[in-house]
Amino acid sequence: MKKNLLILLSLFLISLFAYTNAWAVREGGSFVFCAPYGGDVFSLDMHRTGNTQDYIVGLNIHRSLYKWDASQNKPVPELATEIKTTDGGQTYIVTLRKNIKFHNGRGMTADDIIYSYNRIMNPKTASSATAYVKPIKGAADVQAGKATAISGLSKIDDYTLKIEMENPTELGYLLYKIETAIIPKEEVVSKGERFGSAPVGCGPFKFSKWVKGSEIVLEKFDDYYEEGRPYLDKLVYKIMPEGSARDMSFRAKELDANLLGGAQYQVYQKDPELSGNMVEVAEMYTRLVGFNMNYKPFTDKRVRQAFNYALNSELIIKKLLKNKAFRATSFLPSTSPAFNPKLAPYEYNVEKAKKLMAEAGYADGFDLEIIGTNSQSYGVRVIEAIIPFLKKINIRVKPQQLEGGMLSQRLIKGDYQAFIWSLESGPDPLVALNRFDSKTLPSAGNYVAYSNPEFDKYLDLARKTGNQTQKLVYLTKADAFLHADAPLWFFNYNKAIIAYQPWVHGIKPVAIEMMLQDFTNLWLDETSPRANVK
Amino acid sequence: MKALYRYFRKRINLFLGGVLVLFFISVAVFAPVISPYHPVDDANLMVSEQPPDTEFWFGTDSQGRDILSRVIYGSRISLSIGLVTQLINTFIGVILGVTAGFFGRWWDDLIMGFTNIMLSIPSLVFALAIMAVLGPGLVNVFIALGLTNWAYTCRIARSQVLSVKSIEYVRAAKALGYGQTRIMFEQILPNILGPILVISTLGIAYAILLEASLSFLGLGTQPPNPSWGGMLANAREQFFTAYWISIFPGIAIFLTVLGFNLLGDGLRDVLDPHSVLNNK
Amino acid sequence: MGAYVIKRLLQFIPTIFFITLIMFILLNILPGSAAYLALDQRKAPDPELIAQLEKEWGLDKPLPVRYLNYIKGLAVGDLGKSFLRKENVSQLLADRIWPTFKLALASIAIAVFIGVPLGFISAIRHGTPLDTLSMVGAVSGISVPQFWLGLLLMFFLSVKIRIFPTSGYGEGSIMNLILPALSLGVGYMALIARTTRAAVLDVLTMDFIRTARSKGLSELQVNSRHVLQNTMILVLTTIGLQFGSLIGSTVVIEKLFSWPGIGSLLVDSIYQRDIPVTQGCILLIILTFLIVNLVVDLLYAVIDPRIKYQ
Repeated sequence: MKKNLLILLSLFLISLFAYTNAWAVREGGSFVFCAPYGGDVFSLDMHRTGNTQDYIVGLNIHRSLYKWDASQNKPVPELATEIKTTDGGQTYIVTLRKNIKFHNGRGMTADDIIYSYNRIMNPKTASSATAYVKPIKGAADVQAGKATAISGLSKIDDYTLKIEMENPTELGYLLYKIETAIIPKEEVVSKGERFGSAPVGCGPFKFSKWVKGSEIVLEKFDDYYEEGRPYLDKLVYKIMPEGSARDMSFRAKELDANLLGGAQYQVYQKDPELSGNMVEVAEMYTRLVGFNMNYKPFTDKRVRQAFNYALNSELIIKKLLKNKAFRATSFLPSTSPAFNPKLAPYEYNVEKAKKLMAEAGYADGFDLEIIGTNSQSYGVRVIEAIIPFLKKINIRVKPQQLEGGMLSQRLIKGDYQAFIWSLESGPDPLVALNRFDSKTLPSAGNYVAYSNPEFDKYLDLARKTGNQTQKLVYLTKADAFLHADAPLWFFNYNKAIIAYQPWVHGIKPVAIEMMLQDFTNLWLDETSPRANVK
Repeated sequence: MKALYRYFRKRINLFLGGVLVLFFISVAVFAPVISPYHPVDDANLMVSEQPPDTEFWFGTDSQGRDILSRVIYGSRISLSIGLVTQLINTFIGVILGVTAGFFGRWWDDLIMGFTNIMLSIPSLVFALAIMAVLGPGLVNVFIALGLTNWAYTCRIARSQVLSVKSIEYVRAAKALGYGQTRIMFEQILPNILGPILVISTLGIAYAILLEASLSFLGLGTQPPNPSWGGMLANAREQFFTAYWISIFPGIAIFLTVLGFNLLGDGLRDVLDPHSVLNNK
Repeated sequence: MGAYVIKRLLQFIPTIFFITLIMFILLNILPGSAAYLALDQRKAPDPELIAQLEKEWGLDKPLPVRYLNYIKGLAVGDLGKSFLRKENVSQLLADRIWPTFKLALASIAIAVFIGVPLGFISAIRHGTPLDTLSMVGAVSGISVPQFWLGLLLMFFLSVKIRIFPTSGYGEGSIMNLILPALSLGVGYMALIARTTRAAVLDVLTMDFIRTARSKGLSELQVNSRHVLQNTMILVLTTIGLQFGSLIGSTVVIEKLFSWPGIGSLLVDSIYQRDIPVTQGCILLIILTFLIVNLVVDLLYAVIDPRIKYQ
């Protein structure tokens, strides 16, 4: 009996030890991350930049009303303790946290939210976030210069705010965007244009230093509103657009985490040391070839379908992209709430493709110029790989490589036969599908000039319903139309991978954009070479 | 026999260079005959990124195409780009540079101003502008590369003329009443030939590599057609995982440029009346 | 001499004016809209926002008006404001000018200190295996893309043996400078070695040198003056020409090593169609180029007193 007790006691002690160990988060240290996309970091004034690189850094300086919760894969309230709607998304009552401070020490109130949203809509700001604030009642009037303040925003008291919408809307999907960050008016006024290079926010890290074109250093903000957070003392972003250079830095243990390209993914998977420390996610970007619906052969649905049947997408993903992609079914990605898992992707079936081509009167095929950039995963490189497949159904492909600016110009003008690109397809499926509404002009993103009244109808239904479940049903139907009409070759959804060093704890799979990593809860154990860097 | 050996020993540069250049030119000419596969049509994803073996001597690229065949076909575009653009460059550059250095005064000022402009405009902007105005195409690549780099040759030629002009024998030739054209071509040009030959032969490498950055803008060779520079540039990401994709076109560029350099040196030795060859 | 310098400085004005005009036209006719490119290309663009941005940046005004505004600003030293970076172009340039100069100077130094002696030796040992070896080295130096070389250096000297940091500016540490400077310098070194060799050979084979030699002057006496003069002029010219281009063409190395220089600023702004920044960078490059080459021209006269400037 005594012996049993002893065993029990030791078991208890062991489990206690294991328990505390698992939760023994460690404070301090410096985390070195990368800003991996081409181009530089331009401005840290989130309202006034459209550059994803800027958001990657800004996300840890700034805070928005909501934030993206990677584990639940949806937006959740951040600056508020509660955000309530009683009428299906027409009116919201926001109860703010009372302990939020900006980096200059001042407490945040409802006025700051009103100020920030008004600043976004002010035409002088020319903000890239207008689309997210516009659904608030009266916001469009401010943008048009007809009003000076958004009528749908009203302060009840310092920590309570009423938001009225134009139509029933899910507020979280709009205001989680870091582009809608809440910023202090006095800093914007006093710094003027310099606010973008010395930003003040209310996030876990405050801005410290910026070596333009090379690196940005952030420091822990001691008065951050989440108790005991962030764990890190310092956060460094290195501007590293070259994949191979990042790989070198990561192997030299100078980078704590790194976004992987296809070539590195393949190598890291085989490496026993590296393969355990990777986080993968299906990002909400759909890689595709868009067909110009005004180009004669593509006016026939069967030709577009034949294109889809003729390509062995799985093989291309496996061999060319080194499995760094998920096969696409339709436009909406598998991480989208309106994704239909029952819908099957176009199979690889050359005979069927040939038959469809013959039925459409193109048994002898046609010449096709496909424009694209030099992107590794959605550029001319992919087109080179599909040439032999399409040759079998007599589509003679001629790729034309272009620089990004020239490509976008031709897409907007509809001046192409087909293009290869990557388009945002989430998180809000309504926003994603709105691109293909027949009322959306090519200059607003409907590059392929897709038009189907049935599709439009379901989109309209989804817009008007206040019921979220019903909305998703409509959108799933709309997506199915897109699938059947095939205005695109549904190639893949990007698989984004971050590899991290063994001492890093807390990298998350962020489906909206993998690099948008919030480091509030990230910590380093003592094996990190920078564990004690202040 | 010994004399023959000495003859070749002295002209080893010319001989080796000639062989290399001839080799690559014949590779280019007979590409369809000698290449084991078609550089574009024989793509097979099933065998993508195979290391060199008995079937694919140089391995295969990401799309599963035979690299040997692509290097062979790539010689066509890369050689012609290297040669044609360097001929344009050298021709314009030498004529303007020599005359500027020789005549001086307003002509020199004008040429200098012009070269300053050419050398200051970033080639990226120039290439984009050509792409925008003239569109893609091989002739436009010649224009882009041929018209941007002559200024360099021109400045080097001018500086050489300046340093040679004041040397005694040129002044003597002047005193003897030689015509200006005669002085330029008989006295000055042979004496500045060395650096010019070096620049134009090395310039072939620049041109071949630069072509790749043009195709990236849509101006140069368009994929899937191979060019050495393009193959190199596109294999960036695979540099460590599949070295063979970039190493073989790299070696081809190296050997070609080496060949032209040896040839240039050898030619200079043979042509230059003052050369060491005739001296010893 | 003084009059010559003033004359040359005055000539800068039309050159600069001419280049700014050409660049203005070129940049403004390039297809691609700065406003579209300012936004994430993967998202659906908002035409209203595009119009707002174009208004903010003055892109809605006719071309001649924009050019006049630009010239007016330039006259009072105002280079304009970046579209995307919301900062004055002069500030952006000021931030990056020193890192760029440092990198350019370091790589030129590497090129000259290794290239010139190498060229001399191969010229004097003309036709020997040493000469051939140096040529093979030079040709490979030029045929190897900077990108490759940079990566290889990084792999061996930062990852395999951890001597140098892989990237970054490191607050100006010399350790951060060495790898990028080497990757840039090797190509120029090869060029300088080859041109030096050619220049030395040219002088060595000139009639008058052979005359001097036949007169019984020692090889060294014969060589020193003319050889030095001729090669220094050539090397200086090469440096002068390369220095200008170096400032704008370091982009590959800057991106590879996260180096905060003008090259990446220029290229980013060209791709983004951030016209004021592009123009500012080009202006800086022209100015550097003109000044360096003026100095080089003046040095010609110092090196060889017989070169006279009117």
